[in-house]
Amino acid sequence: MADGNPNSNPGVLESLGEEIVRIVAPVSACMLLVVLLVTSLHAGGDGGSAVTSIATIAYSEEASDSFWDKLEGALLNSLVFVVVITVLTFLLVLLFYFRCMRFLKSYMVFSSFVVLGLLGGQIFLFLIARFYVPIDVVTFSLLLLNFSVVGVMAVFLSKVPILVNQGYLVTIGVLVAYWFTLLPEWTTWALLVAMSLYDLAAVLLPGGPLRLLVELAISRDEELPALVYEARPVEQNQPGAGRRLWRERRDTATNSSSNLNGLEAGNPNPQSQEANLVVAEEDAAVSAVTAPLLPPQLERRREEDAEGIGLGSSGAIKLGLGDFIFYSVLVGRAALYDFMTVYACYLAIMAGLAITLLLLAVYRKALPALPVSIALGILFYLLTRYSLEVFMVQCSTNLLMF
Amino acid sequence: MGDAVFSVFGSSHVLPNKKSLCNTVLWGRFTRQLNKIVPTHRMEGRRDGLLFWLISLIVLSGAWRVVLPLNSAAWWPYVILIFTSVGFQEATRLMFWKLYKRLEVILDAFAEEKFRSRLSWTDKMQIALAGGLGHGVAHAVFFCVSLLTPSFGPATYFVDRCSRIPFFLVSAIISLVFVIIHTFSMIIAFNGYADGRKVDQVVVPVVHILAAVMTLMNLAPGGCSIGVPLLCCVGAITMYYCWQMVWRKLTEHGRRQRNASEIHIS
Repeated sequence: MADGNPNSNPGVLESLGEEIVRIVAPVSACMLLVVLLVTSLHAGGDGGSAVTSIATIAYSEEASDSFWDKLEGALLNSLVFVVVITVLTFLLVLLFYFRCMRFLKSYMVFSSFVVLGLLGGQIFLFLIARFYVPIDVVTFSLLLLNFSVVGVMAVFLSKVPILVNQGYLVTIGVLVAYWFTLLPEWTTWALLVAMSLYDLAAVLLPGGPLRLLVELAISRDEELPALVYEARPVEQNQPGAGRRLWRERRDTATNSSSNLNGLEAGNPNPQSQEANLVVAEEDAAVSAVTAPLLPPQLERRREEDAEGIGLGSSGAIKLGLGDFIFYSVLVGRAALYDFMTVYACYLAIMAGLAITLLLLAVYRKALPALPVSIALGILFYLLTRYSLEVFMVQCSTNLLMF
Repeated sequence: MGDAVFSVFGSSHVLPNKKSLCNTVLWGRFTRQLNKIVPTHRMEGRRDGLLFWLISLIVLSGAWRVVLPLNSAAWWPYVILIFTSVGFQEATRLMFWKLYKRLEVILDAFAEEKFRSRLSWTDKMQIALAGGLGHGVAHAVFFCVSLLTPSFGPATYFVDRCSRIPFFLVSAIISLVFVIIHTFSMIIAFNGYADGRKVDQVVVPVVHILAAVMTLMNLAPGGCSIGVPLLCCVGAITMYYCWQMVWRKLTEHGRRQRNASEIHIS
């Protein structure tokens, strides 16, 4: 038996590994799409496109400013952003506490529709202009309308195939992340750092809004009111117990009107303020969308205790869409410099995610998914940009390898 | 219908109670999941391997940063560069092996607990393969793939010293050979460390240095037309050596198992 069975690998570490793979694939897909978008739409060089939004309300960066000016301005911007996000998240917690479920749900539906329709439409227009796609206005608007409506249905209804649901969640992440990469450079980096600090505080501190949200959701045994990506197994021939649990979770989801995406309802505005409206929406989207990383619900397990941690078929790891977005923003920003930084940051983020998942298995409570990955990502970006690249280019252009 | 099944089983097999049948069902599900789990573990090994080698490359570049960029006229700084880099990488490989040994202890403990068997030698080979692949892919990505951006336009680039083939093609061929060398060296190295064979342990750094020194030939004008084919030969030799080693292990284990079963029968 010792040598005969080639598949004698232990189960616990491996079941965790399988869950990691199921989360890694969509995160990687999201990052890849953002990198593709960034590289194809910024082919003419990084021109500091002026996108006015809440994130640049305090200071809009010029390329000619001095180092300290830029740093100060970026910090100010990110501070304003984090304050806005905090206020909105507290508002969300309040609404959740007073059980204004219908309001929350319809708000989320409206905001998802706007993200898919307006942000998505704008990006599709960029793509059409870039690639000279021959399409007319009527067809385009019809397709866009269908795309948005199906997207909203896929995310909020329960009878939709899981792949479509996951695909649309990834699409929403890609669209919002691409908009964030349009911000000026220093502001983006400062924003990433600020958001990971905010995430850390909001999830771990006793008064943090996200922690309150998670505790409320668990105490009422309801789904979290946020856009959350759930890495459920996609296979069809699951054992009966697993399928029962999956359907059960879906039913509670529809009952408790989950999947909230708190947005600021802006009035439809003329073109000059459209950027403002659109980016304001995604700013507010981030507030509720930055849900913490959740372990599988402990009370849902039944006889699956024999499987060890039980991550196999009973629960599933949930990753908030905000995490998708900020990982992709980091990688998108790295793509604006060079591909080497993209690879380095991708590896760093994946390592951070794996560490976070391991910590999740150890602590078994909601954990912030941003800090470790973003910290590693920024560290590797700086190291690669200022140290590794010179070394590599020196070696490769002389055709030296080791 | 489930009860009918149980009764059929109850009549023809010895089943103490329904609970043990549930356990068997769970066990069956486990082993079915194992086929997905084994490649996952390899993938994890590969990805962690990628990060590990990236970190080693970054440390190397950090150490050399002060001296770079070098002027391209003299060739001896490159020699020092190559030797220090290869030396550092081999030291890193040793560290990787020590890390893996510790991980293996944990994995073996879990395997004992759950399946009452340890990691088989094929599993260890597969983990070594994944590690080696991670090493090779990390080098290939950072030396070759990340510099491919200029190739997307209509024209191509040539290097002065190797003006017959486009730069990207030469770089790709060299990277391919190095992927092969790194992958199979890791398998040879892990087996050498595990079995304590000095020959295997020494062969790996020697091959690495040999291959790196051959790329030094590319510094001479026109040198790549000698260097690159020789490099391919080194890659082929590494592959052959690894094949010989694996074949030897296979026959050894096959013979051992046959002896063990013969003892059982007789």
